[in-house]
Parts: sequence; structure tokens; C-alpha cells
Amino acid sequence: MPKSAKEGDFVEIARTDSNIEGILMPSHNKDIIVVKLPSGYNLAIKKSKVKQINLLRKNSKIEKRKKGIRYKKGLKTVAILHTGGTIASEVDYETGAVTPQFSPEEITSMFPELENFVNVKSRLISNMFSEDMNFSHYNKIAQEIEKEVKGKVDGIIISHGTDTLHYTSAALAFILEDLDIPVILVGAQRSSDRASTDAKINLICAAKFIAKADFSEVAICMHENMGDETCLILPACKTRKLHASRRDAFKPINTKPWARVYFNEDKIDIIDNRFRKKENRRLKLNLFNEKLKIGLLKAHPNMIADEIKSYDGFDGLVLEGYGIAGNFPINETDKFTRGNTKIYNELKKLANKMPVIASSQTIFGKINMNVYSTGRKLQELGIIGGLSDMTAETAFIKLAWLLSNHPKQIKELFMHNLRGELSLRLSDTDFI
Amino acid sequence: MEKIDYEKIGFKCGLEVHAQLETHKLFCKCPSLVNDPNNESILIQRRLRAPAGETGHIDIAALHELKKGKSFIYEAKSTSSCLVELDESPPESLNHAALETALQIALMLNCQIVDEVIFMRKTVIDGSNTSGFQRTALIGLNGSIKTSKGKIAIATVCLEEESAKKIKEDSETTTYSLDRLGVPLIEIATDASIKDNEHAKEVASFIGMVIRSTGRSKRGLGTIRQDVNISIKGSSRVEIKGFQDLRSIQDIIENEVKRLIKLKNHKPEVRKVNPDFTTTFLRPMPGSARLYPETDIKEIPIAKELLAKISLPELIDEKALRLEKEYGLNSYLARDLVKLDINFSQYRIRFSHLEPSLIALILTEMPKEIKSRFNLDYSFKEKDFDFVLEAINQNKVPKDSALEILVEIARGKEPNLDRYKKADDKELEKYIKELVKKNKELSTNALMGEIMKEYKGKVDGNKVMQILKRLR
Repeated sequence: MPKSAKEGDFVEIARTDSNIEGILMPSHNKDIIVVKLPSGYNLAIKKSKVKQINLLRKNSKIEKRKKGIRYKKGLKTVAILHTGGTIASEVDYETGAVTPQFSPEEITSMFPELENFVNVKSRLISNMFSEDMNFSHYNKIAQEIEKEVKGKVDGIIISHGTDTLHYTSAALAFILEDLDIPVILVGAQRSSDRASTDAKINLICAAKFIAKADFSEVAICMHENMGDETCLILPACKTRKLHASRRDAFKPINTKPWARVYFNEDKIDIIDNRFRKKENRRLKLNLFNEKLKIGLLKAHPNMIADEIKSYDGFDGLVLEGYGIAGNFPINETDKFTRGNTKIYNELKKLANKMPVIASSQTIFGKINMNVYSTGRKLQELGIIGGLSDMTAETAFIKLAWLLSNHPKQIKELFMHNLRGELSLRLSDTDFI
Repeated sequence: MEKIDYEKIGFKCGLEVHAQLETHKLFCKCPSLVNDPNNESILIQRRLRAPAGETGHIDIAALHELKKGKSFIYEAKSTSSCLVELDESPPESLNHAALETALQIALMLNCQIVDEVIFMRKTVIDGSNTSGFQRTALIGLNGSIKTSKGKIAIATVCLEEESAKKIKEDSETTTYSLDRLGVPLIEIATDASIKDNEHAKEVASFIGMVIRSTGRSKRGLGTIRQDVNISIKGSSRVEIKGFQDLRSIQDIIENEVKRLIKLKNHKPEVRKVNPDFTTTFLRPMPGSARLYPETDIKEIPIAKELLAKISLPELIDEKALRLEKEYGLNSYLARDLVKLDINFSQYRIRFSHLEPSLIALILTEMPKEIKSRFNLDYSFKEKDFDFVLEAINQNKVPKDSALEILVEIARGKEPNLDRYKKADDKELEKYIKELVKKNKELSTNALMGEIMKEYKGKVDGNKVMQILKRLR
């Protein structure tokens, strides 16, 4: 390849059979050259067939003019903090590149409707996949939220990748003690470069909710169903991603959504009013200890004790057991189950060293460790979680947060409702 | 009206031919039911956002759609649509049968085949794609075909997803049915060197014939569609969409050219065909290609081994010509045999006493005649044809009785061959002799009519005529 021709340049590719003109594109394979033809299609050409590349025209990018932003009096101000999982992006049809958009100007030019009900502040605080997030990121996001709260914004929207969105929402709910403004996390199940993205609707519904509701909690705002008409405001500690790809992947677990927001109407429905309202609280951050080692272990058939032993040296462990009692294979009932006693002994060792929490793989429902002898045995080992209906994910976050902030009171605080993570009653409608 | 001199007016014309393939959908395992008869369906209401283009400006065609401020209702049936059509799940692996057919067609049109298939997203925001784009990939380029007026270049052969079908529209919503969405579609684009309206028809029918020769395209109205791009000296380009029937292409182009001659200073636009073969404005012409890579689908290398495995089918035209020559059939019967995919040589061997044209007539024309003349909607099975052909081949019944026997079968009856048994020669001659004696004043033709009425289907007309001539 001649030094002069770079990606984005208009070139002529002289091939063994014929010549091709187009824009040189990034290639996914070292043996292939990709050219964007004037028709818009990308054409892959084997390097072995290329005799020469002639530069016809250098890439000439036109700097686009940015529209200024004006703050309107009387409207609430919302800060949009981007953590990755782009909520807005622009497609360059010339090169095929998809560029994420983060500045307030970019956001309002992509979603002009926002300006009708809120003033927008917007900035990038980290740019990453949600699967890579850890406790340090939770602390960082919380500190950025604190800055905005001090700057007197009326609400905050966090854009976030969907995979671990419900872990982050729970983590923020625990960190943000005495929060007095809404903090709403939004994600997108369809990327924002496409016309069918759900990002726009989730973002606008979140902003509309902040503009209209007296609400001071951490929540998630995502699609209610596969259509684009409504979004739900979901409780930070009681929501889980239940589908790999659908827009309505996030469902409340063992509770109801807090509210429904209509995208195309000036309307919200309060479904469950058990949330905090504004009352001049002063935000205090209770951050995570970033060095903690917390495990999350799922019970499965044919388990062996070594798997449990590997958590030796951790600070805490959440067990995702079977069924109502959060059961683990600890009973020796025949010649095939002789290894189970070892499992029991390993759990006993761990429970003596660190807090071990029970939760259930069933996702929905409340644990009751009294109903089976296995559950009773686990309780006797000191495993915590008696009548918890927390998801394993929330239990994991709560354990880490308690170890960071109240290491001496884990047993008593774990079953104490701090951020709406525990339901006292489960009603017939609290299920999908 | 004056005849148009296409050369003088600087006529430029290119075609885009689209054909649906008869296989499951392109990126999921849903069947390609273009009209799913299942009544159970779910409704989903969606909105599309116009993505800004490279300069931050929304594409003119996209803006036109956006201004309508519409929402879209999608009607989906679980028998023909899954989460992929609903845009609730990413595309799954590519339908390889569809890829192979696309490669076949590209090779038949003498195209260069791409080294790798790269799927692109073509932004479409009229709601006809739930995702807001159509997935499309270049398969072949720089091909050519020979026509009566010189070579025509085949610019591209693409493999893409069929769009959803619009079923209702009002000022606020457009309703689409998702049955058709995702059916594999071949798109063939020619260059703009078509000479005139007749030539356009020739090119379109040749390309259609090539597609049908693969035996893998869907049949019926709307399964192969043409878009025509035309311009004349001093005019902008006009794209005409919605040709369902090839027969109208000549008239529509002529009408459009007449319109363009009268028109001055117009913007490029997309127009749709009206029932009276004129056209009306549909939308502005989309700006330069709104394509960007589909990152959910991995590039598919086209290995030499795969290309070597692709066999090229005999063209329908060539096959028909071969049948004409080999069996002395007329071109009409030969084409019908090819269209119906009948293995004629096998029939010829099994029913060797019969004229090839009689066999062809029974297999192709008679079922059509029975449908139109007797209004019987029965689809004949191979064993029905075998029954009739065997009876004639073994001389059990005269060939003239074929139609009547088939009609009986179509009516669901068990045909009684004795009814059609050939008349005894001596008896027949005796009857004719008496008839001639009694009716001396009648013409030969009138007598012939009488005899055929009496011996309905049991005698050979030629034979009767011979006897009559001998006796008079």
C-alpha cells in the first residue's frame, strides 16, 4: 500500500482483472482490502489480487457547525452523565464510522425534543462496556453525581450499557445516602446509530419523568414492552435484565414498577408510590471499598468441594442456591453423593471466616430457609439470608457495600431494609 | 401521437430487478410465508428516529418521512415472524441456500464475484423495516448480458432482505404486516444503457428468465418486481417503482418520457405506477447511498471451493429450444413444459407409442383448459396423467378421449375406460353407410358432426373422415 493513501482517501485499486475506485476503509483481515464503492457498498478485495493502489483524492472532512445551546428559565436542569453504552451516535455514511455523541450540543441536536421540558447538561465520565465495570467505577460515578448535586441540577440521567445496569443501579442506591434528586439510569438494547434505537425513547422518558415527578430515588428507565409508547421507572435494587435482546428486558422483581411514562403524551402514571420525595436532604457518599473480594457462586449438579474451597481468602460470598431455601448439595444420601459432605465442610469453613449470603436461582420469590432440612443446616452454618427476596445481584452489591461501610453489622443490616431492596409482602401481581 | 425518437431525446434507462427466493428467511429460520394465513397476531407500535448523516444533516428522503411524524404499527404472526423480524433480536446466521442462489445468478449474469460478502445497513425510515434499515450485501459486479440491441452491463447483483408489506395507512400511523419481512431478495441492477422502452422490456424479461431458471425463485404476481430509472436530456433522474407485470413496462416508460418532455426544472424523485400506466410522486430521491456496515453479521469469505461447487442451471430459454428441436414441439408447449419443470424425456420413454406433442398437450394445456372451460380447480397429480397416458399408449381408448377422462378425474370420479373404448371398425362403417344413405342432402361436415356426436370420444376423427370420403 502506498504511504500516501490512508483510510478515508478516495483511491483507485488496480487489480489483476479490472480497476475499482472507492474510499479506502478499515479492514478486519490483513489479507483483505476494503473499499467503499460510490454505490455505498463495501467491497472486499484479496490483497493478492491487487497490483497497485493509486491515490485519487485525499479525505476532506467538512467540520460541521455546532448549534449553540440556550437555557430556558422555569425548566428543570438535567445532567446527562455518559458511562459508555452510547445513547447517541452519529453515522458517517461516507466512511461507515459510527461516532458516539456526548456534548450537550450534540445531545440536543440528536434529540431536539429534550429542550421542550428540560435544560440539558451533558458530559462523558467514562467510556466503557458495562461488563468491565467494577466497584471503582461505582465510586467514580457517585462522585460525579455529587459534583452535579453541588452544582444544583434538578436531576441526573446516567447512560449505561445494559448488561450490568441493574448492578450499578443497586450500587448507586446504596452509595448515595440521603439523595434528594432523581438519578435515573438509562440504557439501550438497540444501538443508537439505527433509526429503531430504543435509546431515544428511554432517554426522553427519563427526562420527562424528572421534569414532572417529585421523586428522589435511584431508578432505571427502560421500555415497558416491545412497542415504543411507554417506559417504566423501575426500582434500583429490585430490577433485573431478564432477556438478552428485547427492549423490555428489564423487569421488576418481587415488586411493581414505580411509574409509567408515556413517550408521546404529556402523562405519567404512578404505579407504586413507595418512593422518597424531595425534602432538603443532604447527599452523603458511602463509597465501596475497591479492594474487596466478593464471590457469587451458583449451585449446580455434580458440584465438587474444590469449587467452594477456591473462595478461601475472599471477604464475602453470595450463594445462588436452588429453590425456596437457597439449597446447596450438602447431603450424603447414597454412594454417589459422598462428595457432598466435603461441600458441607467447605461451606462451614467459609462461613466461619466471612459472611456467606443465601439467595435463589429462581429469581422471583422469597427465600425461606426453614422449610427444608437442607436450608436449616445451611442456617446452622451461619449462612445469612433467612427471609430475603433480594436478587442474587442485589445481594452481591449489598454485601460488598456493607463490608465497605458497616463490616461489624453485616448480620443485622443484611435483613434490614435500607434502600427498598427487601419487600415485606409479596402480592400476586409481583411476578411476570 | 408522434412516435418518440429515444436516441434523439437522450434517453437513459437502467433497471433494478428484485426477486424473492423460495427458502426460509435470510437471517432466521422463519418460513418465507409472504401471506401468512394464521389469524393470531400481535400488534406493536413503534417510532423511528431519523439518524443524522455525515454532515450532521438528515438525508432529504429521510426528512420527508420524518416530517410525516408518523408512528408505525407492526402486525406479526408467530408462525412467520420471530424476534428477529420484530427487531428484538440480532440477525442469526445467513441462509446459505439463498447465498448460493445469489452466486448462481451472479455467475449466470457473468459477474465478478466478491472475495468476501459484507452485509451493509441501508437506512430506510418509512417503517417498512422494523430496524430502520435494510440489510444488503454485494455478491457480484461488472457483469453483462447480450441483447438484440447490444450488450447491457449488469452493475451489481445483491442479496438483501425483503421489506414489510404496508397494509393500512392514515395520517398518524402506517400499519405493516411482518410476514414478508426478511424473505431473501435478489437485486439485479443494470447500467443506464437501455436504448428504448421495448429494449427495457427485453432486458427485464431476460433477467427474469435467468432468475426463474434457478428454480429457486418464488412464483406468482409480485414475486419479481422491476424498478425503472429513466432520464432524458435536460431532465433529472426519475425512479419508477411498483411494476408488478412486465407487460406494462413499455407503456409506462413511454408515458413517463412524454411527461418528462413537457416538464422543465424538476428535482430527482421516486414515482409509483398507477393502474392506468401513468405515474405519481412517491418521495424525493434519496441522497447518495445511506449505507454503513452491519456489525452484527460477520464477513463471509467466498472460498474457491464454494464457487466450484455452484452449478449453473440450463436457462429456461435454452431448455425450451432444446425440447422444440428434440421432440418437434411448438415453442409454446416447450416453454410450458420447462415452466412446469416436467422431465419430458422420461414421459417420452414410458409412452413411446404417443406423439410427443400429444403428451405435452395432456401435461400442460389440458389442465389449464379444464380449469378455464369447466371451472374445475383441481391440481392434477402425476398418477392422473399416467393413468390417461397409459390408457392411450396401450390403445385402450382413443386419444380424443383424454380431455374427457381428465375432466372426470377433476370432478372426483373414477373414470370408466369402457365408456371410451374404441368403436368396432365394422360396426362403425355399417353405421356410417346407413347414415349416408338416409341423409343424402347433408354435407360431409354435417355428417361428420352427427357421427362424432354418436360416438363421442370413442372414435378417431381422422378415421371417420376417411370412411366418409370413401363412401361418398
